[in-house]
Amino acid sequence: MNFLKSMRKPVAGLVIVTVCAFSISWAPAHAAMVSTDKILKQNNQNLDRERLNVLLDRSEVRKQLEAWGVTSEEAKAWIDSLTDQEIAEIVARIDQMPAGGSAIGILVGGALLVFFVLLVTDILGYTDVFPFVKGQ
Amino acid sequence: MPVPAIRCGKTGITFLVLLFLALTLSCAHFSHELNSLAVSGLPGSVEIPSVPFYPQEAYQCGPAAMAIMLQWTKANVSPQDLIPKVFVPAKKGSLQPALISAARRYNRLAYPIKGVEALLKELAAGHPVIVLQNLGLQWFPRWHYSVPIGYNLAKGTVILHSGKEARRRMSWTLFMRMWKRADYWGLVVLPSGQLPASADEQSYLSAVLGLEQARQFKGATAAYTAALERWHSSLGALMGLGNCRYALGNLIGAELAFRHAAEAHPSCGASFNNLAQVLAEQGRYTEALQMAIRAVDIGGPNKPLYLQTLQEVQAIVKTGPE
Repeated sequence: MNFLKSMRKPVAGLVIVTVCAFSISWAPAHAAMVSTDKILKQNNQNLDRERLNVLLDRSEVRKQLEAWGVTSEEAKAWIDSLTDQEIAEIVARIDQMPAGGSAIGILVGGALLVFFVLLVTDILGYTDVFPFVKGQ
Repeated sequence: MPVPAIRCGKTGITFLVLLFLALTLSCAHFSHELNSLAVSGLPGSVEIPSVPFYPQEAYQCGPAAMAIMLQWTKANVSPQDLIPKVFVPAKKGSLQPALISAARRYNRLAYPIKGVEALLKELAAGHPVIVLQNLGLQWFPRWHYSVPIGYNLAKGTVILHSGKEARRRMSWTLFMRMWKRADYWGLVVLPSGQLPASADEQSYLSAVLGLEQARQFKGATAAYTAALERWHSSLGALMGLGNCRYALGNLIGAELAFRHAAEAHPSCGASFNNLAQVLAEQGRYTEALQMAIRAVDIGGPNKPLYLQTLQEVQAIVKTGPE
């Protein structure tokens, strides 16, 4: 009996989590509604195939984000708030995407020429890499 | 010790000469551009008051810039709150879609812009903008987000919150060179329900669809309503409004929006289909059946969905509701 009692809380927790998970994933159960997404898409051909691709794309982007050190929870929230079109754009250029991080701690590794070029371009007002050089 | 890519000597000098030639040639047109904009009806000088400022730490220009934008829209968010949401550790920076996603998660409209005219229009309307810049060179990029908050056409300056500096005045030419290297990308962040000054219908509706995707149905409802004030009877806005109200459980409101869409766009089956669904859920099966038949008659790429709706309504009409 004691064992059963001690199991009550974890089991109840599990049931709650499962029910929530299902109710979330089944929330848009009214499949018979046309989504806004479909209305806004110019090209409506091959919807099912496209849908499948988008699902694959979403999991691909999510995996990549996790590989880059984003927590799995944040990666999911990230992906869930982007539209199919935005996800497709990310997939198309995931390797070349610029990550704004800026120039404060840089140029380790002794590339003297790079330093020199950027210093000159900074002074001439073509770049703005070094905080101690003020562009005009 | 291996020396990175470029070696000194003649090649290096030739390279430098070519580099400067390329830079000089490619950047010559910016001042002309500004002159032509000066006459296009924009105020000569603008500085948006009371845009908060957060100095960036280390690589955190993304969280700092986004916190500035969100605080300006009266969302209570600090750069620290945003770090896990937008910063990608392995990249030591923040990706553009992460900023878009973060804005939506705080129920704000994220509207990407491109180019000078849109930037100046937004600033003139009192909207600060996040811009991505490449502070370095094409082959040695230093990506950075800053927040322009004003400009002065006569002096040829842009005023921006950038890095550790608030209200920095930067020459238009330098600003444009670094913005061009990031393909003139910018992002307007607004409370949902407000229109960007440079908004066009399709891009705006796509931005609102993002709010809907992020399940911010109340915000999206306000944003679609705002769209309808500008673009009367827009099909995308009406359908979006109906779908958001439906998602919020407001069947009567959804019905109104779908009816409006059906009247204004009688050749689009989707509004009849969604109307049928909403009517059926209110127990108005006869009307629902009429609308479902109408949708199937119109057909189109979503016809399988319309047939499904029709079958569901017919089944209820035959057997009676459960």
